[in-house]
Amino acid sequence: MPEFTLTSAPPLAGINKAYGDMHLSAPHDVAIVSISLPLGGEDAALSAVKSAYGVAMPAVGKTATSKSGETLMRLSTDLAFVVFTRATPDAEPVVAGKMKGKAYTTDQTDVWCALQLEGPGAMRALERICPLDLMGFAIGDVARTAMEHLGTIIMRTDTNGWRLLSASSSAGSFLHAVETSIKNVS
Amino acid sequence: MIINHPILGPRDAAEFVCLGDACMMDRPDWQADDALDQFVEYGYLRDNPAGEHQELWYHEQGDRSWLVLTRNTLTHEISKVELARDVARARGRDK
Repeated sequence: MPEFTLTSAPPLAGINKAYGDMHLSAPHDVAIVSISLPLGGEDAALSAVKSAYGVAMPAVGKTATSKSGETLMRLSTDLAFVVFTRATPDAEPVVAGKMKGKAYTTDQTDVWCALQLEGPGAMRALERICPLDLMGFAIGDVARTAMEHLGTIIMRTDTNGWRLLSASSSAGSFLHAVETSIKNVS
Repeated sequence: MIINHPILGPRDAAEFVCLGDACMMDRPDWQADDALDQFVEYGYLRDNPAGEHQELWYHEQGDRSWLVLTRNTLTHEISKVELARDVARARGRDK
């Protein structure tokens, strides 16, 4: 029997580049778990989120960050993502354990790729490919949209910081879209 | 075209997919005596109004919600955007 050794590698691992006043990197060990609110059990699920993370479930389009660093992204009325740092592939049981059966949880870690764009020029680069009005984004706002036809979740992490999530299956194309826009304005 | 989503605010129409006439929400009862006639109407026959028209739109590149848009086919003006689930509940659906 041949012995195989598998090494997990996130789709955009190692990306770490500077362009003029911008810096693009791929964050390490991003774990993503979705929380769906059950029909009729919304209130119980919302209070389970509150007791699990110590912060109330944010409104749609907003995020909330717990003291231990997990970010709750409310993407629609019935759906939120928990984004946190975890190296081991067991993100879903961790969140499911905290929810105590009050919400549906699904592991989303491997289906997304993440990029972090920083710098004063970041909005200049993103506004060319993002159909949303980024000027109207407060820090912590999040939205699901499309950039160059690729489904994207965009979150403003700081005045000049943006977190981008897109499908891992088209990670290369997404990186190309973002990089091209950066180069066009830098 | 900009669609003013009831929860998310103004969004580009490129994020949406149009399914068509909102009458698709009212699926006939398959056990009715005239079920065949009703399903022929439901499946094939559409009004083509010059004026206000209700359409189903799906926010695929967004929050995956179904919307009912009231749009004027002469001017393209969108006068009303509602969540399809709210419309269905107002029509007596239980979910």
